[in-house]
Amino acid sequence: MEEKILEIINSLLAKKNSLQLEQLDPELSFWDDLGLDSLDMAELTVKIEDEFGIDIFEDSFVYKVSDVIKKLSRSE
Amino acid sequence: MDYFWIDEERELRKTYSDLLNDLRRKRYSYSYIYFDNPYEIILEIIHSLIQGRTVELLDSDFSTTEIANLGIEKSELKKYESASVRLTSISDLYASIEKGKLTWKIGIYTSGTTGRPKKVYHTFNSITRNIKIGDKFRGNVWAFAYNPTHFAGLQVLLQALMNMNPMVYIFESKKDRIESLLKKYRVTNISATPTFYKMIIPVLKNPVDSVRRVTFGGERFDNTILKMIKTSFPNAKIRNIYASTEAGSLFTAEGDVFVIPEKITKFVKIQPDGELLIHASLLGQSNDFSLDNDWYHTGDIVEKVDERSFKFVSRKTEMINVGGYKINPNEVEEVIKQIDGIIDVQVTARQNRLTGNILVAKIVSAPGISKELLEKKILEHVSRTLQRWKIPRIFQFVDKVEITRTGKKVRQ
Repeated sequence: MEEKILEIINSLLAKKNSLQLEQLDPELSFWDDLGLDSLDMAELTVKIEDEFGIDIFEDSFVYKVSDVIKKLSRSE
Repeated sequence: MDYFWIDEERELRKTYSDLLNDLRRKRYSYSYIYFDNPYEIILEIIHSLIQGRTVELLDSDFSTTEIANLGIEKSELKKYESASVRLTSISDLYASIEKGKLTWKIGIYTSGTTGRPKKVYHTFNSITRNIKIGDKFRGNVWAFAYNPTHFAGLQVLLQALMNMNPMVYIFESKKDRIESLLKKYRVTNISATPTFYKMIIPVLKNPVDSVRRVTFGGERFDNTILKMIKTSFPNAKIRNIYASTEAGSLFTAEGDVFVIPEKITKFVKIQPDGELLIHASLLGQSNDFSLDNDWYHTGDIVEKVDERSFKFVSRKTEMINVGGYKINPNEVEEVIKQIDGIIDVQVTARQNRLTGNILVAKIVSAPGISKELLEKKILEHVSRTLQRWKIPRIFQFVDKVEITRTGKKVRQ
């Protein structure tokens, strides 16, 4: 699962010409550390939904990478 | 100190006396406001207002192609010398506004239904229809959370300016700094799109007690966010606003039921199919409106609750709302079609809870072309030609694009 999340995040970073992540650090914030904006996050949401069938914004919001990991592990 | 504009990212803290000085010092004007720094944008807006002249607002991220598509020549963007303004005190400023507002007009661009953006002119009266001025509002402090070149930003500007309130610019702030900004300046009022609240709510660690009023605008309101807003802003009244670039701000709601104010009931009509119509007298001025016997079709399908209230149900038009920005998919398709190797393209909406929708481009490519390379080429081209939120986020390569019998593309 984490590998797939990393792949999706890296595909977003590539589009912004930002450096790729070598590994997933749960403490990173999507907005402030990775520099993603609401459009990038919407794309991430949709790609995660296609991959895992889970809407990460369904009942709460997302700030850090760990928020996504928690949501996806809960449903496994 | 009477702050006017605070933008900590740019290290700007302007008081109302600074505003007077900056206005006095201005020797040049512009017909088109096309700047990066939001303070320069609002300074030029206020300058045009006190001089009672017409200006047009261009988004700072418009590309040269987008500007050319609006029919604007490069030479028209240049500054010209203008008469200096005489302001010795704050009361001079408000007296000049009173005079200037009679002739002032401001042009705003919005996505048109024809694929070309339409220009709408507003007057002071049409923008300030729902603005409240008085002693009761004198102590307010506004968070400025919109693009300053859009209608909602203009409304916050005038609401704050007319009550001499400070504005704290948080639209581009780092998300983890927003809580401290709201607390530091004891912000009392926030107006933003639901997308903006969804981005900042997870970062607010502790409730912000100073906020008295939270307003939502720009997109359909969704209830999931309501509970969290109440936790983060425990003392705030929550209000939902219906406004459009064409008509300005018209209705407000405490929940999801919008009330039609008594003075405009005559000018609002709900069609048998549920579409909301607005009478021309409530609209800004534009050559690009298509009216049906003086009635403007909003494309919003509503459900009547009683004679003076309604709920939103859906949209009738092809326009796609991405995080509060209306996009005409035809405009995006036209740009993608310019690329070699594209046979056909269809732009549709994919729903999500953060921005409402994002754009999906379904591409029919010429045989023998690498899809990866083509996607890269498309992204490069659209990033150069279109604003960020008009760029498709998902690409799907398909064999054909579905068309209805009337020849229109199926977008649902």
